[in-house]
Formats: sequence, structure tokens, C-alpha cells
Amino acid sequence: MDPRRSIPVSLFFTCLADAFYPRTAFAAVEVLERFGATVRVPLSQTCCGQPAFNSGNRKEARAMARKFLLSFPGDGYIVSPSGSCAAMVKHGYPVLFRDEPRTLALAHAVGERVYELSQFLVEVLGVTDPKSDFSGKVTYHDSCHLRRGLGVVEAPRTLLRAIRGVEFVEMEESDRCCGFGGVFSLKYPQISCRMTEHKVERIVATGASWVTSGDLGCLMNIDGMISRVGYPVKAIHLAEILAGGPAEPAPGTAGKGTP
Amino acid sequence: MQPTAHLFPRNAQKALADKTLQAALGRATGRFLHHRAEAVAAFPGFGEARERASEIKRQTLAQLDHHLGRFIEEASRRGAVVHVARDAAQAREIAARVAKEEGVTLAVKSKSMASEEISFNVALQEAGIEVVESDLGEYIIQLAGEAPSHIIAPAVHKTREEISRLFERKLGEPPTDSIPALVAMARRHLRAKFLGAGMGVSGANFLVADTGSVVLVTNEGNGRMGTVLPRVHLAVAGIEKVIPRMSDLPTFLRLLPRSASGQPLSSYVSVLTGTRREGDAEGPEKMHILLLDCGRSAILEGKYREVLKCIRCGACLNSCPVYQSVGGHAYGWVYSGPIGAVLTPLLVGLPEAAPLPDASTLCGACGEVCPVKIPLPDFLLELRADMRSQGLKTPGEIAGMKGYAGVMKRAGLLEALERVAGLLAQFFTKGKPVEGLPYPFSGWTERRDFPAAAAQPFRKLWKTRRGVQG
Amino acid sequence: MRDVDEREMLFRRLSAALGRHGSPGGTPSSPAGPTPPPGKESGRISRFAEALTAVGGVVLSGTPEEALPVLGEALRAEGVSALFFPQDDAGAREVAEALIPFGPFTLTTGEEVRGGNPASTAGFRTADAGIAETGTVVESSNRGGTLLPGLLSDVHVALLPSHSVVERMDEAFALYAEDPPRNISLISGPSKTADIEQTLTVGAHGPRKIIVLLV
Repeated sequence: MDPRRSIPVSLFFTCLADAFYPRTAFAAVEVLERFGATVRVPLSQTCCGQPAFNSGNRKEARAMARKFLLSFPGDGYIVSPSGSCAAMVKHGYPVLFRDEPRTLALAHAVGERVYELSQFLVEVLGVTDPKSDFSGKVTYHDSCHLRRGLGVVEAPRTLLRAIRGVEFVEMEESDRCCGFGGVFSLKYPQISCRMTEHKVERIVATGASWVTSGDLGCLMNIDGMISRVGYPVKAIHLAEILAGGPAEPAPGTAGKGTP
Repeated sequence: MQPTAHLFPRNAQKALADKTLQAALGRATGRFLHHRAEAVAAFPGFGEARERASEIKRQTLAQLDHHLGRFIEEASRRGAVVHVARDAAQAREIAARVAKEEGVTLAVKSKSMASEEISFNVALQEAGIEVVESDLGEYIIQLAGEAPSHIIAPAVHKTREEISRLFERKLGEPPTDSIPALVAMARRHLRAKFLGAGMGVSGANFLVADTGSVVLVTNEGNGRMGTVLPRVHLAVAGIEKVIPRMSDLPTFLRLLPRSASGQPLSSYVSVLTGTRREGDAEGPEKMHILLLDCGRSAILEGKYREVLKCIRCGACLNSCPVYQSVGGHAYGWVYSGPIGAVLTPLLVGLPEAAPLPDASTLCGACGEVCPVKIPLPDFLLELRADMRSQGLKTPGEIAGMKGYAGVMKRAGLLEALERVAGLLAQFFTKGKPVEGLPYPFSGWTERRDFPAAAAQPFRKLWKTRRGVQG
Repeated sequence: MRDVDEREMLFRRLSAALGRHGSPGGTPSSPAGPTPPPGKESGRISRFAEALTAVGGVVLSGTPEEALPVLGEALRAEGVSALFFPQDDAGAREVAEALIPFGPFTLTTGEEVRGGNPASTAGFRTADAGIAETGTVVESSNRGGTLLPGLLSDVHVALLPSHSVVERMDEAFALYAEDPPRNISLISGPSKTADIEQTLTVGAHGPRKIIVLLV
């Protein structure tokens, strides 16, 4: 990383951060700026269309994808605190536009600019020390789309291990799906919960006080069960840990039974 | 086999409530996954073999007419009689006719998913011929009158106590809690069947075009018994099982057992070519090969062609968290797990199997382990899109999607709705997690909280703090 | 001829599915064939032994004076009471007969075992080849060879000439590629099942033990 040069980054903040977890998006901005990025936030962006695409509703997905492509003109990096949303743009859009050569070309061009946050920090900016302070024992859940969709396995771990005050502990089967699956969690809630239960058992078994991940979808799902049952562990997005984290969990995410 | 895939949601719930099944599933899939991972790690050539196998299968399918033609020619030249069935009814008719013409009264069968597709056993039983499953798991399932629940471990859901009671009832054996004793009982009963059977029925893991060979891979050795001892050998196989050359076999044999059970090679591989030769000590005098289309040529034509690369290893089942949760029976037909969620709609029709493509989180684990690189998650997505284009989506879902897409057209409208949601959240739960939501979100809040909407959305907060950009 | 008509219809469907017109396509392009790296001669036998041992097989070598008592002991430990071998397999006959003093063992035949002889048996046979890659013994019906000793016995004793151990599966299949016999049988360990509670149990249908005698 060259500290003298400013790196233009457009933040693709995602629906979940927008509507439920604004602090995740602010944390992402803070970390990006810490390493020399000039962050722009295109406010015309809405949803990338993944829920529609994943449920087979391609007409609606295409409409949203078109709007997304127009919201990110130029050629700077596009960075998102979500492996899943980033993977949608990179891999889903070429499927959506496979019969529209001009839009397909645009989709490829935009897709090449898209990175997930931890991937961008490590692979593009070459961050090895995130210059963060955080206190606690943390375990990491591999978001399926970050790990298998984008192939990002090590970047978040590299960052976590380098944070002062973080005791990083791997859970068993960290790459096993948490059961969210977007629309899946509404269509098959019982199966989804069985999977979440399995995931939460693995998290709790580590004895960590925090579970983190690169996707708010997973975290919302995991936190939903943690909160309902009252497990002594809190879900937090990696961006927030990198930004220094909340000393106290923000309202709306705290486990009810947490100490 | 009569599909009941449309009952998936109900059957999945039953499976989730079945404690014995849950314990067995956890043990079995965990064990398979662990062994597979170890075997793949211990074999540096796995990735290369996977690439090659995928490419061989892809190219073979692109010229399936040629390779299948060659297979039929070579097998016939070596004394086999090759039959072709376009659908299950025709396959049953041919199987029964062959058995009757050969004067068979007892047939022993080794495991074959293809034969399950056509309800092979029913066909022979209706013709008055006894069919005994000889794979131990299948034998147990047959005695119990059930259907297999896993491609390679059909009785994975049964405990030793249940099996002992079954053997007591059906075979007159004394009760035992010893697994080796149960295996020995089955061995004794089945050995008598092998020695007395007029026909051995097998599937085929591979059909080799350049030699006309049928290849069987087993651990128990039942596939060998049934193809050496009886006077007649009948192999039932899908047309997609063909590979071009015997020299391609090692590539597939390096992948199949490792992917299935984590073994470098299964205990037995039999390469069976034609009938017994002049001067042979044993082997069948007659060999029949029944090739099944049963919807495969239609799959070959479309965008799902690559699903025909499947070598039925079961790795996608073991790796699938949905399969791990509900097991095989819930899928309601021969094939379960991710391969079932793709193959069943293609073979029995999307209307019947409509719940299956949705039964996945698209986590991608199946695609990652598939030894022939079938893009299973992509196919699940395609099938979901087909549901929409074939009018199989509920009006509620379509209306919901249209409304959602409508909102997302305008960032201003989205922001307004987000602010309303924020106000509601403040009003109803004071920003605390939501414990109950109406349909279609009620399933979520049954056992999970849902986050309260932020009082103000990020896009509003950003404008306030940093001003409007972009 | 219903079958022939049905076959023709299948090929029409396939041609249509593949977008062909007229008769099925020309010469298929060949996917890359296997390119096995040349195995090192030295160590091939030990790689074979290691691989077979890893899957529960037993490999014996050395002079007859050394091997026979060990083999006899192993058969007694498995409760074997009768031995059989192909009538035309002189090597197998020699070993089986030499084992009688290490018994009590009687001699029987494959046909008797097939006829339902309930004795606990060891079946002897000279193997066609061994494969170091997987610890596999290859037996076939080539030249009228019988497979019964490795099929119906409780313990299978395979005599394997050291020079017939190849490095990889590819080489083993190449032995038969010209004119494959009815039955090529690759044996890589005992007959086993894990169908009950995922508990590995040997002797499902075939031999519960395989012993390779390197000769």
C-alpha cells in the first residue's frame, strides 16, 4: 500500500446494513479510510437483486441488477461488507444477462471491480496489520458465498489474528452453512433452524464471547437464535471488530441473556 | 418407484422430529465427510483426476450416441444381449420377459439406483419371481419393506436393535446386539440365495464402450457373487453410464471410492465383459444388459446435460446440510440430497418435484465436493427460474417479488419505507429484537428473533453526517 | 424385433438431443488419456504391501520355511478347517498341500464349497497381477481361471509373483485391454460392510481376510 496515493472506493453497503445494521456500513468506511481509501457512497444504490435471483424470479432480479449497474459508474473499486452480495454481482449478474451481450459486458466490467471488505483489505491493499484494538475471544464463521463463492478463506483470518486483544479461536465446521439461505429460511424454517442450531452449538463450544463473519445475513440468522435462547456470545460483523467494535453491543443485536 | 417428492415439506418435518434418524444422520454423514476429506488430502492427484473425469464425461455426453453405439456393439460381439427401454414401464416389461424366458424363479440383486427408478423388484415379483437384495443395507430395507435412504448407505437410519428384531421376525434368528453376529446371519441367508439363484441382477457403475464391459464397485462382494455364480447376469444401467475406454477406468476408480466412503479403492471392482468363454471355469452363460433412457435423452438436450456426468458417489449428500438435517426419504424418490433435488425434477417432472429445488441454501458445498464437477448449485438456481417460467410459483410469491422489485427501483421510496420501519420498530419493540412476525416471516420468528429495523437507515445517516455524494 | 426398433428410436432421440441430423456422429475426439508417471522399480513391492496392509490385508514374503508356519497359524486363528485351490494351479496346490502339517486342515474343492460345504475355508489361487498404487490383487477368468477361491472362502490366500506387481491401475487394465476375459476382479482388502450403524464389519459376503503370499 502506498500511503501517499488515495484509492477511490465506492461502498456497496447492502440492504441489511442499510435497514438493520448501519453501524456495519460506518465501520467499513472507517476501516477503508484508515488505509487510505477515499470512500464514496452512491446513494442511488438499492438491492443487488439476490433474493429475487436466488428464488428464480429473474425478471425482477434483472430490473434490480440493471439499477445496480447504473449506480456504480466509473472504474474505481466497489467494496462491500458482504461476501454474498459481492458474489451476486460477480457471478449472478453474468447469468442474468447471458442473453444480453451489452449488459453482460457491463456486468463483467462492474463485477471485476467488486471486492468483499476483508478480501479488499488483504488482497488489494496488502493490509497485514489492521491497526485495530478489540478485546475478547472471537470465533469466525465462513459465509458460504464468501468462502465458496469468492474463494476468500484466509483474508478474514489473517486480519483477525493480527488484531491486538483478539484471541482468535476456530470453531469446528466453520465452513458449514448456518442455515440462512435467504428465502430458504422462510420457505423451510424448520430445516433452517436445525442448521442454525448446529452452527450455534459449534460456536458456543468454542467458548468465544464473539462470533464474527463477513456476511450480515449469516450474522442476523445466528444472532436471531443466540438472542432467542440467550447464549453468552454475541454476533458482530468483522468490519466492526476491525473498527474497534462496540464496547457494549448496540441495541437490537444484544443477546437477551448475555452477561 | 412412485415419486412422493411433492410431500417434501411434510416429510422433512417428520424427519426433523425423528430422534433416531437425527442421531444416525449426524453420525453417518459426519463419518463419510471426514473419511472423504482425509482420503482426498492423502491423494495429491485428486484434483487432476477430477478435472480429467469431468472432461471425459463432458466429451462423452457430447457424443453419447457414438459411445453408446460402440458399447452396444462390443457387448453384443462378446455375447451379451442388449435391451433398450424408453421408460420405466417398458423397462419393467423387458426385465420380466427376460427373467421368464430364462426360466428364472429366484434372482439375487446387488445395489442399483437405476433399478430403483423402474421399480425393478415389483416387476419381477408380479411375474412370480423372487428377488432378493444382496447388499446388506438393501437386504435390511427389503425385509423391512422400506425404501433406501442413502445412495451408498441405504439403511443408515436403522439401529442394530431394530435390525435384530427384524431378523428375528423375518429370518427366525435369535436376538443379538452384536453387529458382527447380525452380519454373519445375513451372510448365511444370502449365501444360500446366491448359490440357488438363476439370475444375478446388477447395476453398473460404468459401461466401457471400447470393450462392452459392465463395471461394478462394491465392498461387500455381493456384486461379484451375483455375477459369477448364477447362470444369467442381467445388468440394469442408465445410458449415461458409458465411458469411452477401459483406459479411462482408473481415473474414475481413483475418484469414486474416495468420494463415496474415503477409501483409496473399494474392496472389489469387477469388470464384466460378455458371457463366460469357452473353457471358463464359471460365469454366466447368458448376459443381458438393460439400458434405460427414462428421461435421460431429454436431459441431454437441454441446459442440464452435465447432471448426467454423475457417478453416484453420494458425496453431495453427505456434504449437504439440508440432507444432513432431513435424510434421504424426505426427498420422495430414488435420488436424494443435492443430486436428487436436481435429478428428480428432471426425471419425474418439475410439478411433482416442485419443493426440491428450493430445499437448498445454495451454500455450494455439493458443488465443491462433486468429483465430476457438476454445477449443482447453478442447476438448483436454473430449476427455480424454470419454476417461475412454468407457472409453478405461488401468486403470493410473485406478487411479493414484484412489490419488492418495485420498491428497489427508487432509492427515495426505499428510504421512506425504511424510515417507517424504523419508527415501527421504535414504537413496538423500542429497538429490541422482534420475537413474532406475521406470515411469511412467522417461520423465522418461531425459534429465532428478528432484528429491529434501525431507527434511521444508513443512507439517511450518511447524508446527515457526510452530505450527499454520488 | 422390438428391442432393435427401440434401440433405433433411442439413437434417434440421442441424435436429436445432440443437434445432429442423420446418422450418429463421426469419430469422437479423445479426452486426454492417462499419463502415469513411471513407477520406480525399487519400492514397488513395499508400496504394494503398505497399501494392502492399510486396508486390512496381510502380506507375507520370505522363503516357504519362513512363510508357511506364519500362514498356517493365521489360518488356524481364523478357524479355517478346509483348503481349496484351482485344480490347474500348481503353485496354489503346492502351498495348500504344504500347509497340511500346520493344520488340522483338510482339502476340498471349489465345486464342493459351491455345493454348500459348510466348512470354514481358505481359498488359494495365483493372482494375475498386483497393483502397488492401491494394494490390489488382480484375478480374472483369463485362460479359464476360476474366481471361486477369492469369492466363496472365509480367508483368501493369493499367491502373487513379485514380478507381476505393477505400479498403477492403468498398467493392470492394459494387460486385458486387447481381449478382456469375462471377469476381471480387483481385490483390495477383505469383504466388508458398514451398513449397520456405520460400524465396519468384515466378511459380509466374501472372505473376511485376504492374505497375499509374495512368491
